[in-house]
Amino acid sequence: MTLDFINTYLMLILLSSLLVNVVLTIYGIFFKPHYTKKVIALTILSDTLNTFTVYIGYRRWVNELNPRPPILTVPPTTESIIEFAERAVDPLPQALVLTAVVIGLAVTLFLVFLGYILYAHYKTLDMREIRKLKG
Amino acid sequence: MELALQMLGLLTPVLIIHAFIIPFTKLFKSTRLPGIIALIGSMFAVISTTIVLFKVYTEGPMVYTYGGWPPHFGIVYEVDQLNALIGFFTAWIMFTIVVYSLWYSHHIDDPSWYYVLLIGLETGILGCLYTGDAFNLFVMLEVLSITAYGLVAYHRDRAEAVEAAAKYALIGAVATTFYFTAVVLLYAGYGSVNMAVLSIFTRISGAKVSAALKYISVFSVALALWVFTYKSALVPNHFWLPDAHPEAPTPVSAALSGLVVNVGVYATARFLYTIFGPNSAIAEYREIVLSAIFTLGSLSGILGALMMMAQRDIKRLLAYSTICHIGIAYMGLSAGFLSGNEEAIKLAVMGSIVHLIAHGIAKALLFMSSGVLIDAAGSRDLDEMRGIGRYYPLTSVSMILGFLNLAGFIPFIGFYSKLLIALGYLDSGFIIGAILIIIISALSIPGYLKAISAIVFATGKEPSQRVQKTWIEPVLFAMALSLLVLGALFQYLWPVYDEASRAIITMNGVIEYISRAWNLIPVELKWFMGVTP
Repeated sequence: MTLDFINTYLMLILLSSLLVNVVLTIYGIFFKPHYTKKVIALTILSDTLNTFTVYIGYRRWVNELNPRPPILTVPPTTESIIEFAERAVDPLPQALVLTAVVIGLAVTLFLVFLGYILYAHYKTLDMREIRKLKG
Repeated sequence: MELALQMLGLLTPVLIIHAFIIPFTKLFKSTRLPGIIALIGSMFAVISTTIVLFKVYTEGPMVYTYGGWPPHFGIVYEVDQLNALIGFFTAWIMFTIVVYSLWYSHHIDDPSWYYVLLIGLETGILGCLYTGDAFNLFVMLEVLSITAYGLVAYHRDRAEAVEAAAKYALIGAVATTFYFTAVVLLYAGYGSVNMAVLSIFTRISGAKVSAALKYISVFSVALALWVFTYKSALVPNHFWLPDAHPEAPTPVSAALSGLVVNVGVYATARFLYTIFGPNSAIAEYREIVLSAIFTLGSLSGILGALMMMAQRDIKRLLAYSTICHIGIAYMGLSAGFLSGNEEAIKLAVMGSIVHLIAHGIAKALLFMSSGVLIDAAGSRDLDEMRGIGRYYPLTSVSMILGFLNLAGFIPFIGFYSKLLIALGYLDSGFIIGAILIIIISALSIPGYLKAISAIVFATGKEPSQRVQKTWIEPVLFAMALSLLVLGALFQYLWPVYDEASRAIITMNGVIEYISRAWNLIPVELKWFMGVTP
């Protein structure tokens, strides 16, 4: 059993669990009646997709070249930069995820406060009840 | 650097600074100061979009690189004729909406937060329109979305408003998350998030593109299109609009119905014509996607027109009319599935662009004038508003002009937009498209006549209260006149709209868009991107 095989195996597990997560959270958002559960499903969905984004930037572990964070620790010479470019993972998806996480925080906060006001009006957060009360 | 380029780069930062200054006016306990700052901000947007429009129409597309980073390595704003034109009208309509908000101040209990959100919304719309970077489009889409959710829920003591905002925000947050995934997939497939660079990569890969890359592209385009059609309320995704738009404060309804929905149509055009054009890697799937959009567009046109007849609430009627007209705009936009006759496609897409402008002005005008009459009648119900328009002749006249424009009567610009879409379909031999446009127009007329006859021509009781401030009436009338003037001058303004359509339809226009960005990348960096110069 080689390292390469374990690497492939772990990545497969990661990808399939991400897929299951996406399906479950979409079910949660559209079919769970309770507002808070919908918001929780939404946060899990965005976290899942953020993990997927980090996975996109990940560099496979091949030829004993283990991937490293994109930080250059030695003085930049031509050889060190070439070696660095071969080993470094792609930093751009991580930067995108950072932006998406901050935005997701703002949206979740907004949704939670909206739920609070919704509760103040209807005394319930069950979306079926709310639709009924509206008449 | 030249003035126009600086104005383009300053536009969104200056606007968002205006938005963030507004809360500090609470220190002075002033109720007028927030409105004045918002007015200055929107005036700046008007000036800079106008300068950008003139510059783009005289010298072609322009690119602003933030922080001096070349395209592909940094965020750029790229403006061609299409987004310059839409941005210009957006800034002007938003300016009148801010002026109207000053009139509307007696309904706004906390003006500082209201104007923060309104200017934030303008920043979001203009950012979405002007950006040349697919990921920056995501950020601006979120700016637009969060401010829109906040504005819909602005009257938070009304239970319906909060519920409409919750419905809109929950699915909207899912939608923007999916757009983020679409951008990431595009990056995984092509290694860039810059629109111009992506347009090169989708084309040069051409025939020898791998199957995996094809599937990634199709999947990400499908995800992105779901988001854009959600934002512009195309039929299966229209469920939030009839609740959210009427429950918002009236000036916000005008902004949402007149401007925000345009962003989705523009982004769809950018994705399906500039980035994934007719000669790109997914050309064969693109035609399927476009014909699906045509079907959905005609469905939403028919559904919006039919639902409009059944409404008793004036703002809800206008919201359904928005669904109908966005359907028509998408029908014109999707003409690209008729391969072959490029002139005809250009005509139909030009009609779609003109329709966005005609609908944007008219719908903002209608919401604003209905706001005046709602104040007079004290209700949004058409039965309660019977005959109320007789006491406000100037508002009623502008309202009638707006309705006639939407129905497509002859001297108005709304007539020419529908005519161009129908002509485009006739030219390419697709008769059904032209017939559907005529059917939808005919179906929508009863709804408009119902509103006009109830408000203006019916006899009702005396109004319960008089509207004290009537200085807004001339502004509304000027907007109504602008519809007539744009229609009357249509043959002289033809080249302006034609250029906007040419920029995304013809190969020359797309090449111009690409090359302006591409030429800014230094040669040694092009080598680094894996493309030999």
